[in-house]
Amino acid sequence: MAIQEQETAAEPVRLFRINTGSCNGCDVELAVTSAVAEFDVEQLGCRYTESAREADVLLVTGPLTVKARDEVLRLYAETPRDRLTVAVGVCPVSGGVFRDSYAVDGPLDRHLPVDVNVTGCPPRPQALLEGIRTALEIRKARREGVEPIHEPGDRKPSHADNFPARGRLSFDAAACVDCRMCRHVCAAGAIRFEAGKQGVRLTLWHNSCVFCGLCSHYCPTGALSVTGDWRLDHRAADAFRQVDRGEVLYEPCAGCGEAIIPAAPQLLHAAFRRPNPEIEKLKNLCPACRQQMSIGVPRR
Amino acid sequence: MTTKIIELGPHQLALEEPMYFRVQLEGDRVADLDVLPGQVHRGMEHLVMRRNLYQNITLLERLCSLCSNSHPSTFCAAVEDVAGIAIPERAEYLRAVADEIKRIASHLFCCAVQANAIGEVPLFRRIMEIREIMQRAKEAIYGNRMDLAANVIGGVRYDLTPEAASYLAQAMEQMKKPLDQLYLQFGNNPVLMARMAWVGVLPREAAVECAVVGPVARACGIDYDVRKKSPYGAYDRLDFKVALQTTGDVRARNLVRLAEARQSVSLIEQCLAQLPAGPLCADTLPEIPAGEAIAKSEAPRGELMYYLRTDGSDFPVRLKWRVPSYMNWDALKLMLKGEPVANIPLIVNSIDPCIACTDR
Repeated sequence: MAIQEQETAAEPVRLFRINTGSCNGCDVELAVTSAVAEFDVEQLGCRYTESAREADVLLVTGPLTVKARDEVLRLYAETPRDRLTVAVGVCPVSGGVFRDSYAVDGPLDRHLPVDVNVTGCPPRPQALLEGIRTALEIRKARREGVEPIHEPGDRKPSHADNFPARGRLSFDAAACVDCRMCRHVCAAGAIRFEAGKQGVRLTLWHNSCVFCGLCSHYCPTGALSVTGDWRLDHRAADAFRQVDRGEVLYEPCAGCGEAIIPAAPQLLHAAFRRPNPEIEKLKNLCPACRQQMSIGVPRR
Repeated sequence: MTTKIIELGPHQLALEEPMYFRVQLEGDRVADLDVLPGQVHRGMEHLVMRRNLYQNITLLERLCSLCSNSHPSTFCAAVEDVAGIAIPERAEYLRAVADEIKRIASHLFCCAVQANAIGEVPLFRRIMEIREIMQRAKEAIYGNRMDLAANVIGGVRYDLTPEAASYLAQAMEQMKKPLDQLYLQFGNNPVLMARMAWVGVLPREAAVECAVVGPVARACGIDYDVRKKSPYGAYDRLDFKVALQTTGDVRARNLVRLAEARQSVSLIEQCLAQLPAGPLCADTLPEIPAGEAIAKSEAPRGELMYYLRTDGSDFPVRLKWRVPSYMNWDALKLMLKGEPVANIPLIVNSIDPCIACTDR
């Protein structure tokens, strides 16, 4: 978005945007950061440019389509050597919902180095500003010849505000019954189940998650919930640390001792309005022992 | 007169999306035009067949973020048609509310981008500030400023609590005056008139021939709005007139958009007033049998059509859609013929081209 205005005294940091085949959500929100006073990048001393040669910070949106690749690399080659690259939204990092397509050639960092990821689908303008701020911190440190000290995984807290945005998903292993409905409805493939010796482990990757909340909508026990935590920008090096994990432990069946996933209390309450002690006994039984208890014989 | 061929990309055209044109010039006027599409081709028709019907709700919402609610709601309507599901009345109204909120924001964005394309930066900023009222409302009610995640198969998955409804009513009240002012400004302001009136004209006959839809068609006097012609959801119970203009130029397209945005405010108010009590969704996990269906809706850019075929499994056998920008950008050739080069960005933006939808 070109905005022609007079120069200010201090030299602004120039932002240059490339759309590599996005659904335009991130791009429209970036336009907001050039138009709306509250979110204006000028508050960070930045300004948008239409020339790749001037780019101090490169903002990349979209999953990098096959068709866009050459044009993106051509523009990238024009940018100065000390520019920083910010991957905006989850698409450049993982492909988001568009992963596994013949027409998508991401992730972006296969083709060019990325410094910062701004997670979100699309990230709200506040999150975009935080991502740009993180890039500016790295830029400043590099100019001073140091890499800023930074603990992996440490995150700045989200500001509390009046509008809870759909942010990071959170997983409560104690309520999970391993039905895997969440994985079934997840368009982005952000949820993975792995069966181990001790139990079943769920991993949810925030750089793939598009924050649609469908997993939480269909989760019968409320094990997955949407939080208001939207401030998820991070250094690209920490991309794979952006996860929520939890392990649902096996327990021996109260009847035969076989390792089973016990039914969570939330499931019993969803199934029976008021579970009585007889029903409560079902939760620690394997299917065969449950049948034994209910109908007297195991049925094949 | 010299003939020259130039290529224009998103940075010259002030577009948010990568769209490229090869323009043939006679002197400084446009003689012919080729659209060079494909930059945003993500293989959507391939992807939808590798995702089950539930995953497709989220995937299709990301077909395009400006008409993001139209895609999942039309897709869900097609699935519901196959399965013979009648969605609850409350869900019909809530789908209309989501669609109209998106329409206002989308139309305002289009008008803002055009103001920027002609160098009217203060106007661009003002329209974007007005649009922020809608953005804030979307985030407050749905939790996201672009992708609402309002739809599920069988209904909706958000509710308007009394507090949310009164908040939305208040936001609608705030929109009225600025929208009326913008309508007058785009209609009568001499500076805007000079840049937009009789620019990029598409004659009515040509519009019919190109089969253009949405505000581009209605600006040429074509009385076609899916919400009126074949009402879906709650639209047969809502009162509105199809916004029409006759001159078929850039100004007329914007007047149609601004009149529609104002009408959307009234539609949302009607929905809030009539909103019946009841469930939000017919059935959480319905059986989807084998079958096929077509669903249509009026997206912000015009008629959106979905074709779905299922085989009784969770995965669609075929999902195909026709998006409004497809016909509209073909008409650009006619609109741009004989126009000076300087008008290209404005005219291209005046059809509100959605590249993400069309390249898919």
